[in-house]
Amino acid sequence: MKNRLKVLRAERDWSQQDLATRLEVSRQSVNAIETGRYDPSLPLAFRIADVFGLAIEDIFLRGE
Amino acid sequence: MSGTSRPWLLTSPGRWVALYFFSVVIIAALKLTGAIESPVGFILLAAATCLLLPLARRRSDGCISRAMADYNRRIVFSSLGYVLGLGIAVTLWNSYELSDALVFAISLLPTVPTFGIIWAMARYLAEEQDEYLRHRMIMAALVALGVVLAIGIFYGFLEMFELVPHIWAWWVLPVWAIGLGLAQLWQKVRGS
Repeated sequence: MKNRLKVLRAERDWSQQDLATRLEVSRQSVNAIETGRYDPSLPLAFRIADVFGLAIEDIFLRGE
Repeated sequence: MSGTSRPWLLTSPGRWVALYFFSVVIIAALKLTGAIESPVGFILLAAATCLLLPLARRRSDGCISRAMADYNRRIVFSSLGYVLGLGIAVTLWNSYELSDALVFAISLLPTVPTFGIIWAMARYLAEEQDEYLRHRMIMAALVALGVVLAIGIFYGFLEMFELVPHIWAWWVLPVWAIGLGLAQLWQKVRGS
C-alpha cells in the first residue's frame, strides 16, 4: 500500500527516528512502512494519523 | 577508557556473535577430525558460548527494543545451560553405568534449557510492543519451521529407504536455530 509518510515527514523536517520516537516504534518500522514493505495494523495507522493530525485516508492511499 | 579505543572487533555485540559462530565451526572441525575428545569439545563449546555474554548484557536502546534485549539475555543463558547440560550428561553417560532413572534425569540436563529457548521465543512474541519487529520474528520462525519440516521429511524418507544413517531427533533444535539465523540474515540483506 502506498503512503505519503515520507512527504509528510519532510514537511515537518522530521527524521525517521523522530517519527519513530513519536509513534513509540523502532526506526526500522517507520522505514518499512514508508517504503511500502510493511502495512501497519489499524491501531498503528490511527496512531500515525494522530501524530500528523490527519485522517488515515490522507496518509495511506488505495491500491498497490 | 572510551569505547573508541577498544579493538574494532569488540565494539559491537554482533561481532562477538560472529566470533562465536567462527569458534563453533573451529571446534566442530577439531571434533570431527578427531583432534579433540568429547569432554574437551564441550568445555571449549561452553567457553565459546561465553562469547555471547556481551549480547546478553546489551541494554535496550535505539537499535533494539526492550523485549529483544530480554530475549537475547534469555537465549544466551539458555544456550549456555544447554551446552553445559549436554556436556555433563554425555560425560556421565560415557563414564558410568547409569540406571534408567538416572539416564532419564541426565536427559533432562540438556532438555530443560532447550525448553528455556522455546519459552524465550514465546515471551518475546508476547512482550514485543513493536508490531513490525514482531512480524519479522514470526516470519523468521516460520521459515525456520519450514526448514525443519523440509529437511526432516526428506531425511526421514532417505533413512527409511536405508540410504542414510539414523540420527537422533534432537537435531531439530540446531537446524531450527540455523534456519532462524539464516532467515534473519536474509531479512537484513533484503532490508525487510
